[in-house]
Amino acid sequence: MGRIFTVELEGRSYRCRFCRTHLALPDDLISKSFHCRRGKAYLFNRSVNISMGPLEERMMLSGMHTVADIYCCCCGQNVGWKYESAHEKDQKYKEGKFVLERGRIVDETSTEGCVDDTRSDTEDS
Amino acid sequence: MGVVEDTEPPLKRAKRDETNGFSSSSGNSSVRGSSRCSVTDSSLGDLMARPLTSSSSSRGDDDDTTVGSKGVIKKSEFVRIITRTLYSLGYGKAGAMLEEESGIPLHRSFVETFLQQVKEGKWDESVVTLHRIGLLDEKAVKSASFLLLEQKFLELLRFEKIADALGTLRNEIEPLRINTKRVHELASSFIISPSASSGLGKENVSSRSKVLEELQSLLPASVIIPENRLETLVENSLHIQRDACVFHNTLDSDLSLYSDHQCGKHQIPSQTVQILESHTDEVWFLQFSHNGKYLASSSKDQTAIIWEINADGHMSLKHKLVGHQKPVTAVLWSPDDRQVLTCGAEEVIRRWDVDSGDCAHTYEKGGGIGPISCGWYADGKGIIAGMTDRSICMWDLDGREMECWKGQRTQKVSDIAMTDDGKWLVSVCKDSVISLFDREATFERLIEEEDTITSFSLSNDNKYVLVNLQNQEIRLWSIEGDPKIVTRYKGHKRSRFLIRSCFGGYEQGFIASGSEDSQVYIWHRSTGKLIIELPGHAGAVNCVSWSPTNLHMMASASDDGTIRIWGLDRINPHNQKKQVQGSSSNGVVLRQCNGN
Repeated sequence: MGRIFTVELEGRSYRCRFCRTHLALPDDLISKSFHCRRGKAYLFNRSVNISMGPLEERMMLSGMHTVADIYCCCCGQNVGWKYESAHEKDQKYKEGKFVLERGRIVDETSTEGCVDDTRSDTEDS
Repeated sequence: MGVVEDTEPPLKRAKRDETNGFSSSSGNSSVRGSSRCSVTDSSLGDLMARPLTSSSSSRGDDDDTTVGSKGVIKKSEFVRIITRTLYSLGYGKAGAMLEEESGIPLHRSFVETFLQQVKEGKWDESVVTLHRIGLLDEKAVKSASFLLLEQKFLELLRFEKIADALGTLRNEIEPLRINTKRVHELASSFIISPSASSGLGKENVSSRSKVLEELQSLLPASVIIPENRLETLVENSLHIQRDACVFHNTLDSDLSLYSDHQCGKHQIPSQTVQILESHTDEVWFLQFSHNGKYLASSSKDQTAIIWEINADGHMSLKHKLVGHQKPVTAVLWSPDDRQVLTCGAEEVIRRWDVDSGDCAHTYEKGGGIGPISCGWYADGKGIIAGMTDRSICMWDLDGREMECWKGQRTQKVSDIAMTDDGKWLVSVCKDSVISLFDREATFERLIEEEDTITSFSLSNDNKYVLVNLQNQEIRLWSIEGDPKIVTRYKGHKRSRFLIRSCFGGYEQGFIASGSEDSQVYIWHRSTGKLIIELPGHAGAVNCVSWSPTNLHMMASASDDGTIRIWGLDRINPHNQKKQVQGSSSNGVVLRQCNGN
């Protein structure tokens, strides 16, 4: 649909598993220890080529947050979410940052996409 | 004081008393007598006034009466400029009649005399009268005297009265002590033979009127009423009305004096007048030709189409340009409108002849490198393209590669253009930076934005760049001198696609853009105010183009595979009286208008 506009990231980057659109840079990686229902997730400062869904209040293990799901702008796959605001003070550091699910992205240098983690303990869901 | 003929503004009165101690009507006539002209004889019908004998006439000017509801127009001034206009229009009798009936003469008697003396070349007398007029500005008096004496000098020269000329130069011109350069020029004319000094100009009757013109600009307007003063005032007023008209989109020839000008929204194209359905997939780009006679569109269906605009404003398909193997991202008109360039997405660039519809040349780089964007050289003799390997390539028309810049670009050059004066090469060089490369001086200026740039377009006068940002804002940058933001436009929707916007309308006073919510948005360019949103398309509107020659025609390209042509709202009764104005797209039949 339409002529999709994408930006390219310099060097090694994390990409959408399905269409290989650039999503984030390793330099923007803040934490690798996030989790979602489907497995591991990474927290990034910045993410490109994504479009946002509607904002909603979601109760996560770390408290109530306002988040919006994010989608790859090329293929439309849900690749993670963005923290809009946090209700708890000690969670404020997450505001404005993006979480990309490990199962939905590939690391450019790896030869394969990672295997899905299907651990059932969910921390930040 | 005695019987003073008071026809000048109060300020001058005192001085005049001095210079004219014997002020009475006899004084006036003595001046007139020396000029040896007869007032009543004049059938010149230009600047001569009737003799001022009746005291009632002197009162006409003294008055503080005003006309108009706001009390700012002085009656005497008003009448005088009307008189002046009558004379300029050639209605001498009417002018003279007005002067008599109103009792307000166009010029004071001294001024009349002065002008007559200049016309007749009586320079000495004119200098005397000049001083009698009683100007306060010494400089003006001196400059005017210089002018008169210079003309006297030149005429003396022409008649070979060398000694007299020399005398004038030495004793009259030089002591004024102004414009010494000119004095030297005049002096040097003795060295060249006088007849050859015709290069100095100004020796015949027509040059005397030139002197008059220059005097007019030297002396204050209240002494000699400037020509065309009334016309100037009216033009200013129209100008202000036009500027104040927010939706102004009519030709100058349609401005009227009868009532204040107000366009109203019905002068903006807001009605779908035609839907073009020849593309079989999303339409990504379109553009009117420079001469406004054609429209070119390009689509994901791998073709481009050239449409012809008929006399009644109706569009018909002229050529379908088939050949690309990838979606065509752009179709661009050559400066002479005889060719178009099409850009296949990361594939090749093709050049087509508009008349025949044939492909004249294909430009490719090989090595898997394809073009992202392309453009024409300002002179139409070359092609520029931004490639996937982030370089910019330039070819001549035959396909020879002229240049290739690798540079430090960090992005594929998503948009590239050359201003039509050939001065700037404009391209997106980084996420949020546009490079303005001066081709002659070979230096670069940058437009540094706060967000990622998706596309841009240039204004016709090459002074502005309209930048589309990823965050749904459109910004207008001025590029004369250091680039700076002029206005911002918001309201449309963009989250995934490349949406283009453009300038349009009267003097490009409007900004139009596509949007992902399927509407066309139009803003008032200078205020940034959103004027209208036009629904109708069934998919995202990717690109809009406003006809450069028809103020009331606009086209939009959409993901629904159609192109809509927008024109004036004919149904609205408001519009009845304006239907005859301007555009050639009148008389368009409403077709297939899907509940606009």
